[in-house]
Amino acid sequence: MSKLFSNFNWKVQALGDHAIQFYLPAMMDPRVIGEIKNFNDFIVLEEIKGIKDIIPSYHSLTLIYDIEQIDEPIVFANNLIGKYKGQGEVELPNKEVNKIIEVPVCYDENFGIDLINMSSKLNLSITEIIKIHTQNIYQVYCLGFMPGFAYMGEVSSKIQFPRHHQTRQNVSAGSVGIAGAQTGIYPMHSPGGWQIIGRTPVKIFDKNPAILSKFKMGDQIKFYPIPRAEFDSLNQNEL
Amino acid sequence: MSIQIIKQGIMDTLQDKGRYGFQHMGIPPCGYLDNLSAQLANVIVGNPKDAPIFELHFPASSFVFNEAQTICISGANFVPVLNDKSVAMNTAMHVCKNDTLHFMQPLLGKTCYLAIKGNIDSSSWLNSKSDFISQIKTNDQFNIIPWDADNKKNSNLSYEKIESSLINNIQKHIFNSNEIRFIPGPQWNDLNTESISNILKQPFYTSLNSNRMGYKLKGPSLQLMEEKTYLSSAVTRGTMQLLPNGELIVLMANHQTIGGYANIGQIILVDLPKLVQHKSDTLFHLNLTNVATAHSEYKQMQQWFS
Repeated sequence: MSKLFSNFNWKVQALGDHAIQFYLPAMMDPRVIGEIKNFNDFIVLEEIKGIKDIIPSYHSLTLIYDIEQIDEPIVFANNLIGKYKGQGEVELPNKEVNKIIEVPVCYDENFGIDLINMSSKLNLSITEIIKIHTQNIYQVYCLGFMPGFAYMGEVSSKIQFPRHHQTRQNVSAGSVGIAGAQTGIYPMHSPGGWQIIGRTPVKIFDKNPAILSKFKMGDQIKFYPIPRAEFDSLNQNEL
Repeated sequence: MSIQIIKQGIMDTLQDKGRYGFQHMGIPPCGYLDNLSAQLANVIVGNPKDAPIFELHFPASSFVFNEAQTICISGANFVPVLNDKSVAMNTAMHVCKNDTLHFMQPLLGKTCYLAIKGNIDSSSWLNSKSDFISQIKTNDQFNIIPWDADNKKNSNLSYEKIESSLINNIQKHIFNSNEIRFIPGPQWNDLNTESISNILKQPFYTSLNSNRMGYKLKGPSLQLMEEKTYLSSAVTRGTMQLLPNGELIVLMANHQTIGGYANIGQIILVDLPKLVQHKSDTLFHLNLTNVATAHSEYKQMQQWFS
């Protein structure tokens, strides 16, 4: 069970003629993510007619609505905040709140194609980079960029590394990358600019409608290292 | 009943109203680029307004009909030719078995719609047939399934009931206007004063580098008051992102679900078809509007189709 706190000062703005954006102060903070998730879950449970999409991100929650069903969006939005806050501190059913999703990663240099360069620039051995990357529990801030791509943080300052200036044309499915304070996994082959340190054998996005994205906003993720042989026996991604 | 692609175009796809309810997983909504032309073509042949339809760009695909069918072509005028004879647009047309349809030249606009009476049989994913990865290809064949009784009640409109003045109004709205309206976004006030004045006074045109993900605009270079980075948040159809190089990109149907560039405004839904159809050789102006105006025009236009 997770508690719903109402001491956050939600603001709202129209995003054009068919979206409303609720927002909190712009910062990457687990407490902000927690509040966004609570507000998100509250709206999902309300099952409001005319809401086509509910899109949480770092410090905002955006509703895409049907113009023919929602008339005065700002009035509607303020009423929604009022109703949410009116609940005070309420227990929300949230069974998964403390669940940590463990994700195997093979940090083989053939997969972690930026490891050698990072190792020399950061003045850390590859073993140390792996140890530091697998130490933290990461939180999913949001999903975007492509189906199933989860932005997670926060990466230890010891191994933070900026994106490549030049985007790579093809990053393999399952590639685990770092960009500044964030880490993430490419669900499918795609162009990409993140520093690639390894590859997971786990399928991150499955087109099967019953499965789809492995992660959702607010999830807690921990990576653990696996040897190449284990990767090969587990791999579900296209090579 | 079926239709076959004789020769594929460069980026033709099957589209419907799009895929909603999955953007929190990063899945783009897709759907018609120019919903007004697509809905018009569907309604003229007697389909539900949100039925799947072929969306064509020039050079467009060529088709052969394997049975007699009723079709309608709307949106961009690519000079449609049925068995070597030029045919009219925005009107229901009966075609016979083995008739072929070609598109000769991009005379007006950029995105053309081919509606066929009936439901185009294609696999649906997450409640939509809109495809965001693959285009229709040479030799692809699509069965056309007659609407069942359930759907008929949604499609009681036939072309006889659509007044030609209404078709003219829609055409004029999309193709005869050089004014595209937007509502200021979260970072509008981060623009410097000169940029704000430039956006509202200088003309823009669409870059050739435009596609279903986004249309790049060419015009005055725009700048923020100070260089700033933003935490990513959701973007939507019509979002005007200011890129670090001073260019504007307007997000279209296949857009990413979140973005970290300055969001300076969103083009209103009723004006997006105008932008979609604007070729790079015609200028337009960007003007401010508000939510109430955008809603009332949207509702009015949707009434045309119901």
